[in-house]
Amino acid sequence: MTRRIIHFLLTMLFIILVGFWVYTSVSGEFLRQYRTSQRRTVETVIAGFPAENQDIDGWLKRLADDKNSCKIAFVSEIPMPGEKLPSAPKGDPELSNFLINNEEFANDPEFSKGFEYASYEEIYRSVKNWTVGPHKAQALFFAPAVDIKTREIEGVLVFAFNIDGERNFMSMLNMLFIGAFLLFTVLVWQLILSPDPIIGFALAGLFLITLTFVAYPLFEAFRLSIMENGRFSFAVWKAVLQSEGYLAALKGSLILGCLTATFATVIGFIFAFAVTRTNIRCKKFISIMGILPVISPPFSLTLSIILLFGNNGLVTRWLRVIGLDFSIYGLTGLVIVQVIGMFPIAFMTLSGVLQGIDSTYEEASLNLSATKLKTFTSITLPLAVPGILSAWLLVFTTSLADFANPLLLAGDLKVLSLESYIEVTGMNRLGHGAALSLLLLLPTLTAFLAQRFWVSKHSYVTVTGKPSGRLTEITSNGVKKLLAGIIITVIFILLVLYGTIFAGCFVKNWGIDYTFSLENIKEALTRSQDALFDTVTLAAIAAPIAGLIAMIAALLIVRKKFFGKRLLEILLMTPFALPGTLVGISYILAFNHAPIILVGTAAIIVINYVIRELPVGIENGIDSLKQIDPSIEEAAMDLGADQVTVFKTIIMPLVRPAFLSSMSYTFVRSMTAVSAVIFLISAKWYHLTVLIYNFSENLRFGLASVLSAVLIIIVFTAFGIMRLLVRENANLIKNVT
Amino acid sequence: MKGDKKLPNNNAKSKSVTFEDVTKIFKEPQTGNNITAVNGVSFKLEPGELVTLLGPSGCGKSTILRMLSGFEHPTSGRIKIGDTDVTNTAPNKRDTSMVFQSYGLFPHMNVADNVGYGLKLRKNSGPEITRKVKSFLAMVGLDQMGKRSPSSLSGGQQQRVALARSLIVEPSVLLLDEPLSNLDALLREQMRVEIRRLQKSLGITAMYVTHDRVEAMSLSDRIIVMKAGSIVQIGTPSEIYRNPVDTFTAGFIGKVAFIPCEVKEIDSESDCHVSVKGKTFCTSRWSNKLKAGDKALVMARPESLSLGEPGEGIEDGVVSTNIYLGNSVESWVKTDLGNVLVQIDNPDGKRIHDEGERVSLSFDPALTKVLVDDLFHPVAN
Repeated sequence: MTRRIIHFLLTMLFIILVGFWVYTSVSGEFLRQYRTSQRRTVETVIAGFPAENQDIDGWLKRLADDKNSCKIAFVSEIPMPGEKLPSAPKGDPELSNFLINNEEFANDPEFSKGFEYASYEEIYRSVKNWTVGPHKAQALFFAPAVDIKTREIEGVLVFAFNIDGERNFMSMLNMLFIGAFLLFTVLVWQLILSPDPIIGFALAGLFLITLTFVAYPLFEAFRLSIMENGRFSFAVWKAVLQSEGYLAALKGSLILGCLTATFATVIGFIFAFAVTRTNIRCKKFISIMGILPVISPPFSLTLSIILLFGNNGLVTRWLRVIGLDFSIYGLTGLVIVQVIGMFPIAFMTLSGVLQGIDSTYEEASLNLSATKLKTFTSITLPLAVPGILSAWLLVFTTSLADFANPLLLAGDLKVLSLESYIEVTGMNRLGHGAALSLLLLLPTLTAFLAQRFWVSKHSYVTVTGKPSGRLTEITSNGVKKLLAGIIITVIFILLVLYGTIFAGCFVKNWGIDYTFSLENIKEALTRSQDALFDTVTLAAIAAPIAGLIAMIAALLIVRKKFFGKRLLEILLMTPFALPGTLVGISYILAFNHAPIILVGTAAIIVINYVIRELPVGIENGIDSLKQIDPSIEEAAMDLGADQVTVFKTIIMPLVRPAFLSSMSYTFVRSMTAVSAVIFLISAKWYHLTVLIYNFSENLRFGLASVLSAVLIIIVFTAFGIMRLLVRENANLIKNVT
Repeated sequence: MKGDKKLPNNNAKSKSVTFEDVTKIFKEPQTGNNITAVNGVSFKLEPGELVTLLGPSGCGKSTILRMLSGFEHPTSGRIKIGDTDVTNTAPNKRDTSMVFQSYGLFPHMNVADNVGYGLKLRKNSGPEITRKVKSFLAMVGLDQMGKRSPSSLSGGQQQRVALARSLIVEPSVLLLDEPLSNLDALLREQMRVEIRRLQKSLGITAMYVTHDRVEAMSLSDRIIVMKAGSIVQIGTPSEIYRNPVDTFTAGFIGKVAFIPCEVKEIDSESDCHVSVKGKTFCTSRWSNKLKAGDKALVMARPESLSLGEPGEGIEDGVVSTNIYLGNSVESWVKTDLGNVLVQIDNPDGKRIHDEGERVSLSFDPALTKVLVDDLFHPVAN
């Protein structure tokens, strides 16, 4: 019990410290904003002080009529220190009366201090608040009235501001924090007294993380898109929805997405069908080639397409010789690059689906004397339709969210992800950027929900976990040859593209001078040293954190019953559906002001990696935990292990394959991130992919090639190591009943 | 939180277990309805006793076990182990250990590490653990299997590992959750004997959950019969077999025929007189809720029934099947009471009626009990 009380006290101390920090930063930030706006009003008013004493009375009257939030009085004769006002001020009668008649104020040091500041041409804000006439709680400003022509001080302008708003806000804030504190006290007390407090703390931690780094930034992005100059307004959305440029971008994104999704699904289906339903040779090689593009760094395929087909490309020049002129920039190029880069998504989805279709159905059909073609069209294809649909949707959303490829290859084509980036970095219109990326969320979310709730419900694939060992071929030799032809072509293209990048490293100046040279490698490596170090370090930090959090979250979701489970799941899974640009924009919006200032730090990049890759890790963890008999954990607990020991000695070893793969997934994805990270990098913490982009933009393709090659090598190595480790582990823990 | 210090030292002193008016209500996740899994249950296990919770699935017996092990906490009521109140104690802090239906062996550890896991948590020294693991593996007959992976063992061997793993920490209460249900019939019989032997020799208080009446009868010191979350009867196997409190227990614990009767007179000293189809019988056991004039049922076990020529007994019927079991013959007789099983012991030299033959049933009143008629009777047409 003493132990628990100590825990309780320590936790409360922590909460009080954090609470105090948040409180002071929130209130400080608010007061600063509030006072800055008052000061700005003062500055604006004194800037308009009429020249050469012309019509000061009229000017003051106009100010009073303007319904400013403040009262203004003009003191033409500045009193000597310790003396009263020699004459009655002009302007607001209540304020004038107060200045000349209020004994208490006249004797206060602030009185002379204010006039002294003003006579040195500085603005002074009273520390105390005063009651002016019937108005309580007024903050007084003393400002110099300077003749704009002669630059001489003609007197002092005194401003009285109503600070009810400030007071109301502060009392509301106090109430809020006291309430939150009481709530936390009760919660923590409950947690400490519950049979397993650790679960409670883990849950509280997860809620804190997701609310802070998922819900809050999104809310901030949304808030900014409906605010204009600090007021609620639909101006941003009106501008976004009515402007032709934005509509063109929406159209561009949708067309690109549809084309890419369709072609990629077809190729993915061919690959998946060949690997799972035929006895084609080199299945393993085909599978690996079919997965590689998805983990290759961004820009790499684009880069080699540009090297080959760009304005100065190898092939372009050759085609120009025979009289063909074309530009790869725009829709065509983007579709090509995206299809090559994204067909693996369709391939992986569809191989799972096709593998799940039992050969028995096809055998039954053949047995009832249907032809092979009839069997395919009436049995195999309909069974695969939900899978095909979900593969299509997945590629579609990926294409929509894609940022790296359009960045280099879009040409005149406008797409949403790129437009929002331009709004933010080019025009510094954060609100517009936020609105645009929220717009991007709409189709993505629709597709995501359609997949989750419609497609998965209409799936016929029975999850028995036992794909039958036998395989009945329903393809004739001719068809198989055709499939093989297509697959070989795609693989050939892939190999050429990868080869081009590596070739690009050793050429002096691609497009102009093709002599062999190591210059580029040398220059690239020296110039990218820091970025390379940053990229690898941050990815390596993020990977274990993401893996660990994913496993803990998966454990809680699979094994524990708790209030708000659905909400936590949604919060944890949301980042999966969020386009990177939206994440990036919302992060800079949310974390560049109090209470949490992270912009420019390494932390924001790591947090972004962790949050974005969590969903996949959690899915991995959930899948592997669901296969573990709960009584294994119960047995350990029964023998005397507490939650932490169970996690360390039982769960982690059992979910190690899932842990390793989500770790390496996070690492690879973080190494190859662009869309979100491009908003978050700073001079201190740079990312290799952005450097590649910069080099490409400056037409230094040699340097870009070298860095791409380096990234490819790192990523593929990490991926390979992970595969080896996971396979070893999987062999170790076979038959987890 | 480290609970190591509160774990018991390794001296087997068995303790009693007390449930005081324990209720457990679950909330159904989909509908939000409350489901009362255990309803006001009270009982006490004496130290060193093996008590079986017996009942159909869904009667709350596993919930009781899980509350005793700490995986569930009662909605109301108190649970005590010895004199310690453990009602809300976490599973790792209480001195119970459980043998799971699916064994729950750690697949990433070998057999010896599995068995030694609990000792490691109790901070025993390395050599101590090795020695103890060896002796416990020997005790369950797996001396040579220490280095094997659990998945390479047969079901019976896995069961023994699970048993050794639970016993090695010398718990004051051993819990067994249908531990034999995944084994084939022969192994089940062997393991039954084995579990009883180990429990007796170690003198551990044990609670055993099963829905198999043969298992319950052959293992237990006492049986707790449960139905729909409540205890129906607590007693020794023979008490429950011969003297069930109601038709449910009577039927659940063994084959039985219910013969409608009318209570004529209850001689509070020793006898209950009933009439069956005009014939009067006198039995020494009856439900104390009965009074003269009640419609009641005579509970007749197969061994209390005998067959005779039609018209001789209390009910006529036709023999439908004869099953020869060596030491007895079981005759199924089709009557207006339903299909009735008659057991004829030592059949050699006795008359066995052929299948299809008309016979009549008689019963030996000394072996029967008169029960309240709580059966559902469909309206006769």
